[in-house]
Order: sequence, then structure tokens, then C-alpha cells
Amino acid sequence: MKRNSNATRAAAGWILLATLAAPQSGAQASPPAPTTPVPAKAVERFVEFHDDLGRLVRIPAVPQRIVSLAPSLTETVFALELGGRLSGVTDFCDYPPEARTRARVGGPINPNLEQIVSLRPDVVLATKALNRPETVEALDRLGIPVYTTDPRTVEDVVSSTRRLGEVLGARSQGESLAAAMEQRLAELARRLAGRPPRRVFFVVWLDPIISTGPHTFLADALRHAGAESVVSVTQDWPQINIEEVLRQNPEYLVFAGAHQDDPQGAIDTLKKRPGWSSLDAVREGHFAVVSDALDRPAPRLLDAIEDLARQLHPNAFPHAPAPPGGAAPRRGQL
Amino acid sequence: MMRALTPRRLLLTCTALLGVLLLVVFFSLKFGTRSISVYDLVALLFHAATGRTDLVSSDFRLIILDIRWPRILLAMIVGASLSVAGASFQALLRNPLADPYVLGVSSGAALGSILSLIWAAQLPGATPFGAFAGALAATAAVYFLGRRGGELDSYALLLGGIITASFLSALIMFLMTTISGRELRGMAFWLMGDLSTPSPVSPGWLLLVLVLGVAAIYTTAADLNLLLGGEQEAMHLGVDVVRVKFVVYLGASVLTGLAVSVSGAIGYVGLIVPHLVRLLFGSDYRLLIPATALGGAIAVVLADTLARTLVSPTQLPVGAMTALVGAPVFIYLLRRRMT
Repeated sequence: MKRNSNATRAAAGWILLATLAAPQSGAQASPPAPTTPVPAKAVERFVEFHDDLGRLVRIPAVPQRIVSLAPSLTETVFALELGGRLSGVTDFCDYPPEARTRARVGGPINPNLEQIVSLRPDVVLATKALNRPETVEALDRLGIPVYTTDPRTVEDVVSSTRRLGEVLGARSQGESLAAAMEQRLAELARRLAGRPPRRVFFVVWLDPIISTGPHTFLADALRHAGAESVVSVTQDWPQINIEEVLRQNPEYLVFAGAHQDDPQGAIDTLKKRPGWSSLDAVREGHFAVVSDALDRPAPRLLDAIEDLARQLHPNAFPHAPAPPGGAAPRRGQL
Repeated sequence: MMRALTPRRLLLTCTALLGVLLLVVFFSLKFGTRSISVYDLVALLFHAATGRTDLVSSDFRLIILDIRWPRILLAMIVGASLSVAGASFQALLRNPLADPYVLGVSSGAALGSILSLIWAAQLPGATPFGAFAGALAATAAVYFLGRRGGELDSYALLLGGIITASFLSALIMFLMTTISGRELRGMAFWLMGDLSTPSPVSPGWLLLVLVLGVAAIYTTAADLNLLLGGEQEAMHLGVDVVRVKFVVYLGASVLTGLAVSVSGAIGYVGLIVPHLVRLLFGSDYRLLIPATALGGAIAVVLADTLARTLVSPTQLPVGAMTALVGAPVFIYLLRRRMT
């Protein structure tokens, strides 16, 4: 690709020029440059990092224009108080609401390269779970540094947040944010200590029924909330048969906001389906509804984990007030 | 419809189509997330042609020359490959509704590339080769499914193609859900036919394979004209039917594999373009093949320009664009044949 790019560029130019020049010869005998050559940038300090893919990424010490290719990364940048430097986000970046005011670069799977380039980013943030390696390679070839994260556990999210603070030139914000997250996780672990995890069935998708395997980030978030998924297949997002759910007879059914636009409607639908009504969880009204943040490896994840832990283990939180951002517990007769 | 083909007519037709292609490419270069004025674009191309890209603003250089132009080049290569493959299959199977996508050959190539990704991702060139092998196998399968009483039956052939395509799609679905590989991410998107991902193979190689494939098929053009009248008749007129069919079969499979390995399964191009070219310029294969190659390039560049500008900055898969236009045309052609 590299080797041929100059040749093909020249070919493109010549072929197209030849046809255009014919009818209006002389018109562009000496066309001026479209814009003056870009002046050399003021000397900028660069730093190098190894990203989670092990690639060496060279970016300005304090990147001023950041493009995020995943909702979780957009949230993290805002949580690091760097939202002002975020110039591009994906179509799916809906949190915080301010993210919607940034330029859109398309979806995480097929972002628009032209749009990204025209934002002139100092660094593009990508995540292995959502973006394609082809996108990273393409941006690399265009000379745009891409820092790719790959958090697979809740602990990874904490370290990844700390690391992103460093990469984006906001070490102290990253440090304090990560420390706060660690402290909340420790507090949660202390409260849940000695309580056996609830056996839950997480409804990722309703039609067809899709749940989560044990190796996903979501499964780890469930573990931290004092829950254990009854699904034990090796696939990450398996389509599950109702017979298997009946056999496992989970204590709770868990729904997340993003995947079900209407969790209550999803619950009502499930209750009417043959087989589901005989589940203990359905008969006892053991439904837990959490925000979609549970499936986003970003700092807001802690809110969702705490919220779920409260719904699953109400006795572990006797006097604690409801979490500020989280939804009120919705356990009970639904 | 069969007018005498003179070298002059061949040259004029191809020059006219080349002119249209260049015009389409020019406007495809112009439009996108950021538009560029005609004047600036001409200046930019002039600098590119003279190797003075340093005079171009770095933004435009990246967007126009490094993103838009390679994508357009890829669209041209894919369009030409699919269209010539379609025209070849139409002659080979003596069925005007043949198309790599409709016949399941594209699905075969897609399955081949997926298998090569699973088994031999490290080997360079594994994907194009897998796509080619898949296309060969699918063509052979469809050919045998479409025979009834030793003769190719038009409807058995189409049904065979549809069934092959759905069977292969089911296999692809099976692989995609059971193999928990992150490297298969985005495959669903690619299966729709997509040009947004730059090809890992240098365009020079793709161009070389395209030229070789088209040239091989072109050597049989005069024989294909005779073959369309019937195999027996062609044989009596001295056509080496076995050799012609073998060359066309191999060439069309190479072209399909080439297109699918870089862009997934873009449908209906191989169907519509040869038909339009026949309507406009007649069905002499000596003219049809080069005209179809140029027409296919025009069609896919147009479709991909629409795909990336209609809902910008979000992009549609180009296969969705071609199917939107192609499927109704297919139905029209099918109904016209039945009445």
C-alpha cells in the first residue's frame, strides 16, 4: 500500500487532469495552490505510550483534539473533565448529554475516516471490544495516532481510567478518579463479604434471548455486584434456550436499560411467554433493572454495579442512602 | 440489435465510457464529508500529477488523496471485476439472470475468505486465495445443481444458485456464532458488501489480477458469441467448447474472488451492468466485455459515493445501495422473460 500510494496518486492526478485540461486548455496553466502550505507547527512536546494492544503510540503531551470511537471512552474523557477537548464522538455516544453536541464520526464499527481526519485529532481513542483492527490500521496509515484500550474486567476499567488520564495529559484527574473507584469497589466488597452470590440470568437481548458468557466484561461486573450468571457456555453472547433457563432456575432476572428500551415492557413480555411464568424469579417478582452503564467499561459503571448490588442484596445496605445517580431499587412485585 | 462491430465502434464506445467514468470519479473525489471546490480539486490533482503534494494542504491531501482516492480505486476494481464476472457467467450458463451474487458464487467466496481467516490468518494472500477457491467450488456446485437431463435448465440453475447461497450463508452464520474470535468482528457488515475498509492488498496487485482475468476472458469473446447460440452449434462451427468454458469459469471465479476478498458480497452489479450495456451497445462479447468492465466501475463508484454521502457522516454499506436498485431490476428482467 505504502509503496504504491505515490504512484497511484500521480496516476489519479494525471488521468483526471488529462481529461479536464482538454476542453479548457490554458485555463490552468499555472494553478495556484489550493491553500498555502501548512506552516511548521510550534515545537510541541510528544510522549510515547504502549497501548493495550502493545502498539507504540506517539502523541502530544497534552492532546488538544481528541476523537473517541466508543461510548465508554467518551464517558471516560468527560469523567476526566477533559470533555472540552473532545472534538469527535460516535453516533452511539449518548452520555453525558453534552457528548451529543460534538461532531459525529459515524458508528464504532465503520467510522467515517474522512470525518475523523477533518477533525485533525491529536489522538483517536479506540477500544478493542467495539472497534475493528482495520479501522486502527487505516488511521495508522494516515498518520493519526490511535490509542486502543482493552479492559476486560472491572479492575481493568479502573487501571484503564488511570492510564487514560496519563495519556491525555491529565495524570492527577486520572489518579483521583481511579482512587475513588477503587475505594467504592473496596466498600462494596466489604458490604457483600460473606454473602453468597445471587444466581442471576442476565437478559442482554429479548428477541432472541441472548445472555452473557462467563468471560465478558459484563459477567465480571455482575460478580462485583454480588451476582453470578447461571450461563456457563464458552461463547461471549450466547443465544439461550428457555429450557436451559428453567433447568438453572435463577434467583433473579436482570435487565439493562440500553438493550431494552422499555425494561418494564420486556418483563411483561417475558412473563406471558410459556415456560417463563414457572420460573421462581418470575413468580416471586425477582427482577432487577439497572442502567445500561453496567455494560460500559467507563467510570459510571460503579453506579450501576452499586445499584444492582442494592437490588440483589438489600440487607447489605441497611442504612445507606440511595446512590445519587443510580435508579431507585425496583425490586419487588412488578 | 447485433450491429457489425468495427474497431472504430469499439474504440468510440470505450472512449465514451472512459469519459463518463472519469467524470464520475472526479465528482466522487469532490463530494464527501468535506466538499472541495472544483477549482481546488483541479489544482490538487495537478500537484498530485506533478508529484508536488507538498503544495497541497495536508487536510485535503489526507482526505482526497489518501482516503477518497484509494476507496474510489477499489470501487472501480471491484465494479469491473463483478460486472465482467456477471457477463461471463451469463454466457457460461447461457442464462441472462446469472450474477455472482444471485448464483451463490459470492457467498462461496465469502465463506472461503472466512475459512482462510480462521485457519491461515497469518499467511499473506490467504484471504484472496480462499475467496477464489470458494468461488470455484460454489460455481461448480451450482453448475451441477442446474443440470437436468444433461442440459442446463434455466430455472433449476437459478434455484440451485439461491439454495447454494442460503446454504452457504447458514454455514457462515454458524461459523460466526460458534467461533468466539474478535477478529471476525464487523464480518456481518462486510458480508453486506462494504468498501469503507481500505484493502490490505496493494491496489497494484488487485489491478494486475483484474487485467489478467479480464484479458483471459476476452480471448474467448468471439467464441462466447457463438456459444450463446447453443453448445452443439458452436462445436460444429469449430469452437473448442471445453477450453472456452474452462477459461471463462476460471476467469469469472478469479474476478469474483478478487472482488469479494476486498469488499464482501456486493450484489446485483454483475446482473444490471451487463444488461444495461447490452441494451445500449448490443450483445457482441468483443464489445460487451470491455464496456461492461468500464460500466461496472462507473456503477460501483456511483453507488459507493451515494453510500458514503447520503447519511454522512454515517456510512451505508455499498451492497445495500446496489441491492436497492438491483433487486427490482432483477424482478423486472425475470418477469419479462416469463411473459
